[in-house]
Amino acid sequence: MEQDFHYFSPEELQQLARLEAAGQANEYLYQVLEIGQDMLQCGGEVSRVEDSIRRLCLAFGAERADVFTITSSIVVTIYAHEFGALTQTRRVMGTQYDLDRLELLNQLSRRICAQHLDLEETRRELAAIRATPQYPFPVQLLTYVLVSSSFCVFFGGSALDAAASGVIGVVLKYLDRVIRRTEANAFLSALLCSCLGGLLAGLAVHNGLGDNVDMISIGNIMLLIPGLALTNSLRDMFSGNTISGLMRFIEAILLALTIALGFAMVLALF
Amino acid sequence: MLSMEYIIQLASAFLGSMGFALLFHIRREKLLLASLGGLLTWAVYLAAGLWVEQDVPRFFFASVAAAVYAEAMARAAKCPATLFVVTAAIPLVPGGSLYKTMQYFMEQEFALCSAQGLNTLLLAMAIALGMLCPMSLFHLVRRRAPEGERSCGGKQ
Repeated sequence: MEQDFHYFSPEELQQLARLEAAGQANEYLYQVLEIGQDMLQCGGEVSRVEDSIRRLCLAFGAERADVFTITSSIVVTIYAHEFGALTQTRRVMGTQYDLDRLELLNQLSRRICAQHLDLEETRRELAAIRATPQYPFPVQLLTYVLVSSSFCVFFGGSALDAAASGVIGVVLKYLDRVIRRTEANAFLSALLCSCLGGLLAGLAVHNGLGDNVDMISIGNIMLLIPGLALTNSLRDMFSGNTISGLMRFIEAILLALTIALGFAMVLALF
Repeated sequence: MLSMEYIIQLASAFLGSMGFALLFHIRREKLLLASLGGLLTWAVYLAAGLWVEQDVPRFFFASVAAAVYAEAMARAAKCPATLFVVTAAIPLVPGGSLYKTMQYFMEQEFALCSAQGLNTLLLAMAIALGMLCPMSLFHLVRRRAPEGERSCGGKQ
C-alpha cells in the first residue's frame, strides 16, 4: 500500500515528461507522413517529398530529421532532445497523378512551416484537401477523346483516324472505370485495355471507318503507355534516387511490354 | 517556312498537352499555361531542326526549354514546377518509340528491337538530362541554406 503514496522522483518525472513528449511527437510525425504519402501518391517527385517531410519535421520542433523515400515507401527518423529518436515508416501503394492536389499539399506544407499550424488545424486542412473534387466523369471522357485524337493527328493520322481514335478513347475510359472498381492488377488492366483498343482499331479500319490501324492505335497507346514514367525514372536516377528510378524503370518496361502484347495479339487477327 | 504540317503538329501538341493536363487534374488558369508549355516545347523542337538533324540533341534542347518555362511559370503562378514540367514535356515523351520497341520484341525482330530500344533510351535520357540542367541551376541560385543537417536540394 505504501507504494501508492509514493511521490515521483525527479528522474521519474523527467522520464514521464519524455514519454509524453514522445507520444505527442509521434502524433505530429504521423500527420507529416500522411502529407508525405499523399504527395508521393499524386505524383510528387521523391526529392520533393523528402524535402517537404524534412522541413515539416523541423517546423514541428524536431532538431534533426532523416528521411528516406522511394516510390513505394517512406521512412522517417526524427530526433529532439526532449523525446529522443522516433521512427515511423509508410508503405505507399500506387501513383495516381493529381497535380492539383500536389499543389494544395505543397501550399499546406509551406503554410505549416511559415505559420506553425497545430495538429488539429493540420488535420482539418488535410481532410479539406482530400475532399477537393476531381474533374467529373464527363470531363474525363472528353479528356480521353482529346488525348487520343490529338496524338493520332500529331503522329500523322488523317481526320477519319482521329475520329475513330477518339471514339475508342471513350470506350477505353469506360473500361478503365469498370476495371478500377474491381481493383484488378495494373498489368492485367493494361492488357485488357490494349486488347480492346487493338480490336476496335482493327474493326474500324476493316469496316472503312479509319485509314490506318497504326495511326488510330497510337492515339490510344499514348493514353496507356508509360512514356512519362520512363522519362521520370531516368530523371530520378540522374538526380541520385537510384532505387526509385530503377523500380519505375522496370515497371515502365514491363507495362510497355504488356501493352504491346495486347495490341499485337489482337491485330494479328486482322 | 511554317508549313501546314508544322502548324498541325503544333496545334495537336497543344491539344495533347491540354488533354494530359486535364488527365492530371490541373485546374483553371494553370491548365492554359500547362498546355502552352507543350506548344512551346514542340516549337523549340521544330526550330532546333534548322541547325541539327538528329532527334537526340533536338529533344535535349526542347526539354531544356520545357524546364525553363516550367520554372518561370512556377515562380509566376506560385506552385510546384512539377505541374508545368510534366505537361510541357508531353509532346516529347517517347511513347511511340517505346511502343515500337516492344512491338519488335513481340515480333522477335531482335536486331530492330535493340536499335529502337536504344533510340528510346537515348531520347528519354536526353529529355531527363535536359530537364535536370535548368532545374538544378534554378535551385542552385535560390538555395538559401536549408535549416536542417543535410543540405539536399531545396525544393519548395
